[in-house]
Amino acid sequence: MLQNRRDFLRGLVSISAGAIALAFDTPAQADTQAARTAPSTHRWGMVVDVAKCIGCQACTVACIHENAVPEDNFRTIVSTYEVHEGERTDAYMLARLCNHCEKPACIPVCPVGATFQRADGVVLVDGERCVGCAYCVQACPYDARFINPVTNKADKCTFCAHRLDAGLLPACVETCVGGARIFGDLRDPQSSVRRLLAEHQGEIKVLKPEQGTVPQVFYLGLDPRFAGKVDGEAALWRPSHQEA
Amino acid sequence: DPQSGELHVNPEQQISYTACIGCTTLCGVRVRIDKASGRVLRVAGNPYSPLSAQAPLPMKTSVRDSYVSLSRAGERGLAGRSTACGRGNAVIEQMYSPYRVLTPMKRVGPRHSGQWQPISIEQLIREVCEGGDLFGEGHVDGLAALRDLKTPIDAERPELGARVNQVGLFFSVQDGRESLARRFIQQAYGSINIVNHGAYCGGAYRSGSGAVFGDLKKMPHAKPDYTHAEFILFIGTAPGNAGNPFKQQGTQIARARTDGGLNYVVVDPVLTHADNLAARDRGRWVPIKPGTDGALAMALMRWLFDHQRFDRHFLEQPNQNVAEASGEAAWCNATHLIVTEPKHPRQGRFLRASDLGLALPDGAERYGEQDAFVVAAADGTLLAHDAASEAAQLFVDASFEVNGQPLKLASSLQLLREAAFEQSIEQYSAICGIPVETLAGLAHELSNHGKHAAVSAQGGMMAGNGFYNAWSVLTLNTLLGNLNVKGGTFVNGGAFRYDGPGPRYDLESFDGALKPKGIPLARNVPYEKSSEFRSKQAAGQPYPAQAPWYPNAPGLGSEWLPAMFNGYPYPLKALILWSANPLYGVPGLAGQVHAAIADPKRLPLLIAIDPFINETSAYADYIVPDALLYESWGWAAPWGGVPTKATTARWPVVEPRADKMADGQPIGMESFLITLAKTLGLPGFGAAALRDTDGNPYPLDRAEDWYLRAGANVAFAGKQAAPDASDDDLQLSGVERLRPQLEATLKPDEWRKVACIYSRGGRYQPQSEAYSGEWNSNRFTRPLQVYNETIGCARDSMTGQRLRGVPCWSAPHFADGTPLRARYTEQDWPLQLISYKSPLLNSYAIGASRLRGLHPENPVAMHPDDAARLGIAHGDFIEIETPDGHARSRVAVRYGVQRGVLAIEHGYGHRELGARAHRIGEHSQPEDARLAAGINLNDLGLRDPTRAGYSVWMDPIAGTAVRQGIPARARKAAA
Repeated sequence: MLQNRRDFLRGLVSISAGAIALAFDTPAQADTQAARTAPSTHRWGMVVDVAKCIGCQACTVACIHENAVPEDNFRTIVSTYEVHEGERTDAYMLARLCNHCEKPACIPVCPVGATFQRADGVVLVDGERCVGCAYCVQACPYDARFINPVTNKADKCTFCAHRLDAGLLPACVETCVGGARIFGDLRDPQSSVRRLLAEHQGEIKVLKPEQGTVPQVFYLGLDPRFAGKVDGEAALWRPSHQEA
Repeated sequence: DPQSGELHVNPEQQISYTACIGCTTLCGVRVRIDKASGRVLRVAGNPYSPLSAQAPLPMKTSVRDSYVSLSRAGERGLAGRSTACGRGNAVIEQMYSPYRVLTPMKRVGPRHSGQWQPISIEQLIREVCEGGDLFGEGHVDGLAALRDLKTPIDAERPELGARVNQVGLFFSVQDGRESLARRFIQQAYGSINIVNHGAYCGGAYRSGSGAVFGDLKKMPHAKPDYTHAEFILFIGTAPGNAGNPFKQQGTQIARARTDGGLNYVVVDPVLTHADNLAARDRGRWVPIKPGTDGALAMALMRWLFDHQRFDRHFLEQPNQNVAEASGEAAWCNATHLIVTEPKHPRQGRFLRASDLGLALPDGAERYGEQDAFVVAAADGTLLAHDAASEAAQLFVDASFEVNGQPLKLASSLQLLREAAFEQSIEQYSAICGIPVETLAGLAHELSNHGKHAAVSAQGGMMAGNGFYNAWSVLTLNTLLGNLNVKGGTFVNGGAFRYDGPGPRYDLESFDGALKPKGIPLARNVPYEKSSEFRSKQAAGQPYPAQAPWYPNAPGLGSEWLPAMFNGYPYPLKALILWSANPLYGVPGLAGQVHAAIADPKRLPLLIAIDPFINETSAYADYIVPDALLYESWGWAAPWGGVPTKATTARWPVVEPRADKMADGQPIGMESFLITLAKTLGLPGFGAAALRDTDGNPYPLDRAEDWYLRAGANVAFAGKQAAPDASDDDLQLSGVERLRPQLEATLKPDEWRKVACIYSRGGRYQPQSEAYSGEWNSNRFTRPLQVYNETIGCARDSMTGQRLRGVPCWSAPHFADGTPLRARYTEQDWPLQLISYKSPLLNSYAIGASRLRGLHPENPVAMHPDDAARLGIAHGDFIEIETPDGHARSRVAVRYGVQRGVLAIEHGYGHRELGARAHRIGEHSQPEDARLAAGINLNDLGLRDPTRAGYSVWMDPIAGTAVRQGIPARARKAAA
C-alpha cells in the first residue's frame, strides 16, 4: 500500500522553510579536534522498550526544539504501523534514531573525515569539515542522516551530546511519556541500560543486525518484521517528509 | 555535575514551572527561557506535577534539588522523568505564530469579511459599552443599555427573566481563569448565561456518570486505577491516544502493560495508539459498531446476572455505615425500593420512610433528603435504609402492604436486571457487532478480578444515545463494586480551592453581588415549570414543547446558537466569545447558522476574546487579544485521574506579547473584563471589591489582585499551609520577577507561601497519601445510583414519555423519538461516520507547523471490505455525503476500523486559525494552505430533522452534540 505515498503527499511537501521563525541557534556539534580525541570512561547507549511506546512523538518534537532541526527533517521519529494478522489488528510503534553504532557505516565513506566517533561512542559530524556530499546519508542503513537544508551539512542525532556533557539526559529521553527510551552508560554495570540488557538477554534486538554495524540502540519487543526494511501496511502516521 | 549532583545554572537561561494549555489536561510543565530575548526555548514536564511526573517530588524539595532530579546524575532523571507530550512540546510555536492577535481590533465591512482595523482598547471598551452606530449599519445597543435588570424579556413569560439575560458569555475550557469571567457575567453584570464547550466535548460521558453518581449538574466521574488494576475495559476511550489526563494515562498504560500487572481491552470503532503489538496480549483492540456501546454494556450485565458474577456483597449493603462495617469502601442504592404500582401518584419514586408512617427527624421535610429510603430485610419486612443493620434483599419485585394498602415495589437492581434481560446476548451481539463469545469472554474477564477490574469511558460516548450508553457502561463498575478501592476506580482527590470563600480572601461574595435569575438559553431546566407548558396543558396537550428542554443536563454549548437564532427561549443581543469555537466544534452547526451569525440584526453585538481568529470569532465585531500558554495566569485542578489534592499554578513566566493598556497591564481577558466592569460601574470590581476573611477591603484592578490572593487561598487551604519559598527558590525559578507584586499585594505571612507554590508550579498533596490501606483516602461516599429517580421521573419534553430510570439499551434517535435508522435507512446511508481524537492535533493546534510536519492531514479511515465494495484504493479520494453535508477526502484503507465506518481524526479541516489570511490594518497575514488541510467531521454533522428551525442532532437527555454514528454514503471521487 505504500506505493501511493508519493501521490498521497502531492501538494503537501512544498514547504517554505521560513514559515516558522525559530530564532535560537543550532547547538554546536562538539566539532573541535579535542572532542574527537577526549578520553571517556562512558559508552552511551539506549534501550527502547517498544511496548512502552505510545507513539505520542514527544521525543520527536522535543528533539526538534532542542536541536533546532529544520522543518520536515527529523533526527528521531516514531514510525507508526498497523499490523493485520488473521483476525487481529494492532498498532505498532518504532522509535528510530541514530544507532551510534560500534562500527558505523557512515564514518569510512566520509571523504573529508567530518564524521567521527567520540570515545564515549557518540557519532558526530564536524560541521566545519562536512562538505554536504551525502555519502554518509546513503551509507547509513538506518536512514538516520539527512542533509540539513539550512546548513547544507550532514545532520543526525547526537544523543544530545551538548546535554550529556552538561550532565543532562538527551531531550528525547527526558520527555518520553511512556518511559520507553532508557539511556545510560553501557560501561557501567549498574546502569539501567546494562541491567535491562542483562535481564532480557536473548530478547534484546537491534535493527538490521546483518549490516554488521553493531548498533548501540537496543530494542526490547522488536518485532522481527520491523528489524529491517518494513514492507508495510498503511502507516497511521504519514509524516510529510516521507516518500516511497 | 553528574558525579556530585551539584547544580551549576546557565546564567543565560531560566527554568520556570507553570502549566500547559496545549489541551484541556493542563499538565504542569517546565519552561526553558532565554533570558536575553524572553523567548521560550523548550518545554518539558514539571517534576512536582502528578500529571507529568511518574514519581512527583514533594513540595518540600527545593527548586535547586528539583533540577538535579532531572539530570543524569545517578540516573535520577530516568526515575524522576517528567514529560510533556508531543503536542505539549510543540505548542511553544503558537506563542510566535504570525496568526496571533496582539492588538484590539474592530471589523471593517460586513461580518466575516476578514478585514480588521486595529483600535485602542480604550476605544473598544467605550464602543462596546456605549453602543451607537458602530459600523454604519444602524444603532447597536451597548453593554450598558443591555444591562436591564428589571424589564422582563417577555411579559407573558416572566420565568425567562430580565433582558440582561440576553447577554451571554461562551467560553472554551475551565483553564483556571473562568471564575473571574463567571464573576463578571453572572454576579456583576447579572446575566444567567455562561456556558463552555463540554456539550460538544465529552458531555455525554459526564452526564451518564452524573446519573451513576447522583448529580446530573456537576456530573462527578471516576477513573480506573491503572497502577493497581488487573483488567480494564476501555469503551469509547483510548488510553495513550487521547483522553484526559492524556499524558498521565499514556505513562500509566505503558507501565501497566509492561512492568505492571494490567491486561486491557479497548473497544472502539477505530484502532488508535491505545494498543501496541509489542505488548502482545496485554492489550487488545475490539471493534464495535458506532453508538452501540450501551448494547455491549447491557450484554455484559446480562452475562453477569446470568452467571451470578456481580459483586453481591457490595450491592446488597443498604447504607454507608453497614457497607463500611462489612468492608465495602463505597455503597449504592441497589436494594432501595421503588414504587412500581401502575398509576400510583408516586410511581417511579423511591418509597420513603414517611410512606411507611415512620417519623421524620425534627424539621425534616417529607420526601426531602432526610426522609429515608426503604429496603426489604431478609425476612421481608420493610425498613428505613438507614435503620438497616445488615444486608437487604437485592432482588425485590412484589406487592407489599403499606399503610394497609397493597403496593407493588421493586428494588433498583431488580429493575436493572429486567432492563438487561430485555434482549438476549445474541440480540445485543447483533446490535453492537461483537461476537457472542467475545462478549462472554469480556464479561468473564471483568468479573474475574474481584474489585481489581474496571471499565472506563469518555468522548466516544457522543452518540445519539450517548446518555444511556455512558450510563450503561459506567454501571458495570457499580456491579463490580470497585469504587474507592485500590485497583478499582476513584474520584479526583480535589483541589486546594482558589476561588470561593477561601481561608484568606473571599473570592465569591461581594457587596452588590447579583444572583442571576431566569431560564438559561439552553433550557436546561424542567419544561413543566414554563408558561408554555402551562398554557399547552390548559389547552389539553402539554407535549411536545416547541423544542427540547434538558432538565437533566448542565448548560449546553451545543444548543446555544440554535436557541439564540430560533429566539427560543429568547434571542441574544450580545455574545462574548472567550476562545470558544462552536462553529468548528459542534457537528452540523456551521452550515446552518453562518448566515444568521453574520447578520447583525440576528445578533447585534459579538465580541471575541481570543489569541487567534477561529472559525467563530472570525464573525466577531471586535476581537480582544488574550494571553497564550506561558503568558497567562490561572489556578487549575486536574480533570480526573489524580487521587490526591492537586492545584496547578499558571503564571506569566514570560512577558505577554499582546499590547498593553494605558496603565501598563497586558491586554487580555482579565484586564478587559475588569476595565469593562469598572466602566459599566458594576459591583465586584475596582476599589474595595475584594475582602479578606477579616472584612478588610482590597482592590480588584489587575489580574494580580485576583490571582495572587487566590494563591493565598491555595496556600492556606487544608490543615497545614504550604511551605515558604527560599530566596534560592525565587531566583532559580524566575518567581523573583513576581516578587514586587507578591510583596505589594499579599500580607507578610502570605507572600512566600504563594511564591513557593509558583516556584513549584502548583500545590500538590504527596502521592503517598493516595490510599489508606486498600481504600482510596479521598472517597466518594454518597450512594451510587443503580436506579436514578431524577431520570426515572423526568419526562421527555417532546414526546411526553417518562424516561427509564435504569441503564438500558436505547437506539439512537431524534428529538421526537424517531429512530435514526427509521429516518435515514441503512439502505440509503450504509456507512456511519465517527470522530476520533488525535494524539497530536486538537481543535486549535493546527498552527503548530511541527505537528503538521509529522501529520499533515487526516485521511478518512475505511475498512478494506468497504474499500473493495466501492472500488477505492489506499490514497484515493472519496466524496462523503451525509443528509446535511458533504466533503471530499483522501482515504486511508485500514484494517483498524470497523466495517461500515468512516473514521475521521479530529483537528483538521480548518477554515480559520490561519487557513484564511486576514487583513489587519495595512498588514496581511501570510497565506498558508497547509492550515486548511484535511476535513472536519463537524462539517458533516446532522441537524435534527424532527425539529423546526435551527437545530443540531443531540442526545435527548444529555443534550450533547452527536459525532459518533452519523449516517453517510461515499463514492470514489476524481483524484
